[in-house]
Amino acid sequence: MTKPSIPLGLVFSRSGPYAMMGREMEKSALMAVEEVNQSEVFDFTFTPHLRDPGGVVPAYHAACEDLIRSEGVEHIVGCYTSASRKQVIPIVERTERLLWHPARYEGFESSDNVIYVGAAPNHTVVPLVRHMLEHIAIDVFCAGSNYVWTWETNRVLRELVASAGGRLLAERLLELGDTSVDHIVTEIIDRKPPAVFNTLVGESSYAFMRALHAASVRAEISIPMLSCSLCEPELEMIGPAASVGCITSSAYFESIDGAANRAFVTRWKARHGSDSHVSVDSQSTYVCIMLLARAIRRAGSSDVAAVRRAAANDPYESPQGPVWVDPDNNHCFLTPRLARSVDGCQFEIFWEADAPERPDPYLSNLDFDSLGAKPDKQRDATASWPTHLRVVK
Amino acid sequence: MTRPSPFSVRGRHALTIMRDERDLTILRRQLGRLGMSVTGTDPEALVVPSTGIDVIVLDADSIPIKSDSAPQLKTSVPVIALIGTETPSRLKWLLDLQPASFLIKPLRSAGLYTALVVAFDCAQRRSDEATHVEKLEDRIRARRVVFGAVLQLMRSHGLCEDDAFTLIRQTAMRHRTTVEQLSADIIALGGMPNRGRRTA
Repeated sequence: MTKPSIPLGLVFSRSGPYAMMGREMEKSALMAVEEVNQSEVFDFTFTPHLRDPGGVVPAYHAACEDLIRSEGVEHIVGCYTSASRKQVIPIVERTERLLWHPARYEGFESSDNVIYVGAAPNHTVVPLVRHMLEHIAIDVFCAGSNYVWTWETNRVLRELVASAGGRLLAERLLELGDTSVDHIVTEIIDRKPPAVFNTLVGESSYAFMRALHAASVRAEISIPMLSCSLCEPELEMIGPAASVGCITSSAYFESIDGAANRAFVTRWKARHGSDSHVSVDSQSTYVCIMLLARAIRRAGSSDVAAVRRAAANDPYESPQGPVWVDPDNNHCFLTPRLARSVDGCQFEIFWEADAPERPDPYLSNLDFDSLGAKPDKQRDATASWPTHLRVVK
Repeated sequence: MTRPSPFSVRGRHALTIMRDERDLTILRRQLGRLGMSVTGTDPEALVVPSTGIDVIVLDADSIPIKSDSAPQLKTSVPVIALIGTETPSRLKWLLDLQPASFLIKPLRSAGLYTALVVAFDCAQRRSDEATHVEKLEDRIRARRVVFGAVLQLMRSHGLCEDDAFTLIRQTAMRHRTTVEQLSADIIALGGMPNRGRRTA
């Protein structure tokens, strides 16, 4: 007997400015769909309907409208940038559909018609800045792409740094896709800041990391770099030397040492080649589809309201560890991690929270005053870590 | 005292004057996400406590235009108006309350944070402006006193008007007081006060 089929919209930009990430996420989505379809655990299959908006913001609205009207999908997995998600939200709200959003984002949103599977800002930027303040420096030089992710990340960074008595030494921005990084690199080499916070994305970031590495080698200096978006496939694109040593915050690294992740990476590499790498966003796309499939099974239907209810508080042992949807804000409980990029396009995890952390998209539970200490005060290096966090290495 | 940033809304308290259960549910949930507490009063009973409220969320359609309720809503607490009916008669009634920001019904989760930030910022600016206006009014009231002090110095020191005023201004700066206060002292003492040391 054939199982009933549920249409599923997949909206990823396989072309355009962030095509690399779009293709990685789509590969992961199709792998998850195939696993669901072959599994005996699920008494239904997904029929994927692929759309490629090409990274063009208005095309996301058109793609989703077409998926809803022509293919009758109730659930859409996709989007990467906040601009694309904000295009899609009005149509999923109006038609009462669910968008399953895999990518981390800057927060300050909570639509009833979006399940936010990527990390909230309390999962990414907050632990990274805490680490910087405790162990590296309280003054920092910022280089970023001129868009919402950088603006909001730097806003949080500035407040955290200020509460510790430090300051942003500079905030240098490049337009998306701009690779003319030399003036920023020159300024960094001249000023020798104690840390560089990198919120550049895509080619801008790769060019910056290569140029800063080359200039640092020439000048015989080493400046710690921090990022909350770098991932394994990008390390490969940056190149072997320049990609090493970046302190990165993420809920997922390919090197997570757990049975679920090892099996996942093995299946991924068997499917996409032994030299391929899983990124946080492709893993999160996989998690989206698994959370959706489990919720449909629990609800006994693909009806949006029933699936939303069923998805709430259902812990799924994902490759990144237990993940579940917080019904208070439709974001996910995730485990924050910090790692250092090393040879072989991998990250060496040196810290992780000992339990998944409640998502806080509005950072309403972040206490700036309690963070860090003034630089003139003697302090225990680990004193202001929350007690439920532990150092793993 | 550091003033609270309009962006940090946690711990603030909202009073709702609304009836629509669906809108109330969305509002309560979103305020909860933002770490705010909330109490409600029925539009008909309309009990507005005089303290402990940081913002009022008012469904503009819930109170009849021809009613005596509006005066109770004219407080220094910022009002966020929820707007359904966009008729000029309703908007005129609303403008009278000087809403700090507004949202269009039906509510969704998006928008409330913006409305709150705008409302808190607006309330802060209004309070700063009121303080500034009060200061300016004090100075206008003191104009006669300053004029009297200038006249006195012109006579006693044989100065022209410009030089007499400059002397008052510079002495006030040195004594770290205002031109108006020094002028009052000059008139009271019948001449320039002779201070041996600076006063803080």
